[in-house]
Amino acid sequence: MIQVQNVIRNYKAGETVVKALKGVSLDIGDGEFLSIAGPSGSGKTTLLNLIGCIDALDGGEITIEGQPVSGMDKKTKTEFRRNNLGFIFQTYNLIPVLSAYENVSFVLSILNIPEKEIEERTMRILKEVGLEGMEHRRPDRLSGGQQQRIAIARALVKNPKIVLADEPTANLDSKTGEEILKLMKEMNRKYHTTFIFSTHDSMVMDYAARLVLLHDGQIVSDERR
Amino acid sequence: MKFLVVLACKNLTRYKRRTIITAVTIAIGLMLFILIDSILIGVDRESVRNLKWYETSSVRIMATGYWEDRLMLPLDVSIDDPYTKVQLLREHGYDATPRIMFAADLILYSEDFGEDGNLPVQVTAVDTTLDNTVFRFEDTLLEGRFAESGKNELVIGSWMAEDLQAEVGYWVTLVTRGNGGFFEAMDMQIVGIVNCPNPNVNRSLLMVPIDTVADYLAMENLATEIDIALPESADTDVEAQAITRLMAESGKGTTVMTWKDLAGDYLAMMQAERGGSSTMLFLVFLIAAVGISNTMLMVINERTRELGMMRALGMDDRSIHWLFMLEAGGIGLLGSSIGVALGMLANIYIVQEGLDFGFFMREMDMAYRVQSIFRGAWSLRSILTTFFSGIFLSMLVAWIPTRRAIRMDIPSCLRHQ
Repeated sequence: MIQVQNVIRNYKAGETVVKALKGVSLDIGDGEFLSIAGPSGSGKTTLLNLIGCIDALDGGEITIEGQPVSGMDKKTKTEFRRNNLGFIFQTYNLIPVLSAYENVSFVLSILNIPEKEIEERTMRILKEVGLEGMEHRRPDRLSGGQQQRIAIARALVKNPKIVLADEPTANLDSKTGEEILKLMKEMNRKYHTTFIFSTHDSMVMDYAARLVLLHDGQIVSDERR
Repeated sequence: MKFLVVLACKNLTRYKRRTIITAVTIAIGLMLFILIDSILIGVDRESVRNLKWYETSSVRIMATGYWEDRLMLPLDVSIDDPYTKVQLLREHGYDATPRIMFAADLILYSEDFGEDGNLPVQVTAVDTTLDNTVFRFEDTLLEGRFAESGKNELVIGSWMAEDLQAEVGYWVTLVTRGNGGFFEAMDMQIVGIVNCPNPNVNRSLLMVPIDTVADYLAMENLATEIDIALPESADTDVEAQAITRLMAESGKGTTVMTWKDLAGDYLAMMQAERGGSSTMLFLVFLIAAVGISNTMLMVINERTRELGMMRALGMDDRSIHWLFMLEAGGIGLLGSSIGVALGMLANIYIVQEGLDFGFFMREMDMAYRVQSIFRGAWSLRSILTTFFSGIFLSMLVAWIPTRRAIRMDIPSCLRHQ
């Protein structure tokens, strides 16, 4: 359960202060498949970053699984992200020198999981995202869709409670984007993992079970489908 | 940690050309370091050896008070009954020889030298039998022979002979004051020219038989010093203490000094030159450090987004620090390995053949007691220090740019282009 209460986030752009989020409140239940949509500059990424504990609040509070984020220090936030959150990025952010297998397994390595279990879990998730047989390929030998599949596998391999995806299909063509969305939805259903993703693509919004629309740092609609 | 090592190794192959260029920069720096250090060590060792073999011996006994007035070369502050003391020392296993040092005016004649002239000199009167058991002039004879006992014969250093255009067979006169202050003139024939590896000696040596001059100078059964040779492995300070005790038992009035005391000026100058050389070596290291620091800055700048991703996924700052330091250490390891290998290869030549600085040493006094060829020396400690310093330094200079990147907030890292 994620509770976003009256969250404020301001940025300084030179002399001016940009109000990215102006008192956003939102409750997200376990296992939701939620899309935060809105035009560029509406505050989607900022909200995702705050829920993902990679940015700091200027006001309000975010509580994840009963833990208030504002009370966490840097070390606790790192640990919290490591244990509970998965991330999928628009540009995949894979490590180019590592194979598909290594890109996924390193998340488990930093959790100090035994080698045998790492292998087992990594191979299983790669199979589930449709990359069986491509474990040893480096990202530069894979298509954009396949790279994003690695990113999804990397996000899910540690069985996180929440996966945050910032415009996960923005760099993909519509067909591949749809495949990725189907995969994410399947994973959401299978593992009951909460998926929160930002987008400004209407096709992506159609896939969301819940659509939160942001405009100028405020929620303008919250629709369950 | 295993993952970090694997990732660091793979990242090193990511920008092969850059890794190699940086490693080569480090390698050149370390190679120069090894060579310069080798030459400094070699020259230092050879200088010390040449000091002991041709100038100071290992330990010297003087009359108390002589050292303070040494520049005057006084004859009245001398050791009584030196041969009894030499005998005592020999009985205790020490090779020893008496010497008389005195100042004189060297008179040159036009018949031999083309024109008349004179110059102030320092003369060394040696025991023609015992001197070679302490000093190593035996193999340095360039021309003629050594002076014989009881004869008015003189051996001259090769550079001095060149300067004076002196040749074997020429006659000179030494005008001096004997023990008691009376004037004395000694006609001496040059019978030999020595060319020893100590440039100071070559520049100024005038060697005469001690029994010949003792008579002229009223120094019978007296000497201004007794020189003692110790084996290379001996602890000079310990032996000097033993000799001091021995001399105390045989009577008062002597002072024992080691070559380090006698060559204090040389050692001080060496220390100063070492300081200058160390600064130069530090600059060599600095160039390598700037190279690797620049590389790491570029690496971190290019991988800021990747760094943001790893931090977002929960990798802690310490691991990220380690990752970049391991990468820098890898470049350092590569550079150090190449540098040490090249340095050792080049050092084979420096140790065996050396570099000829004869043209330089002939004209100016650099305090080094090496005549022309500067040979290097092997120092395992120095090579190992260089090797590990290269790696450590590389890791150290990666610390600052990594720290800067870690201070950047994660969203900024992820937005970084």
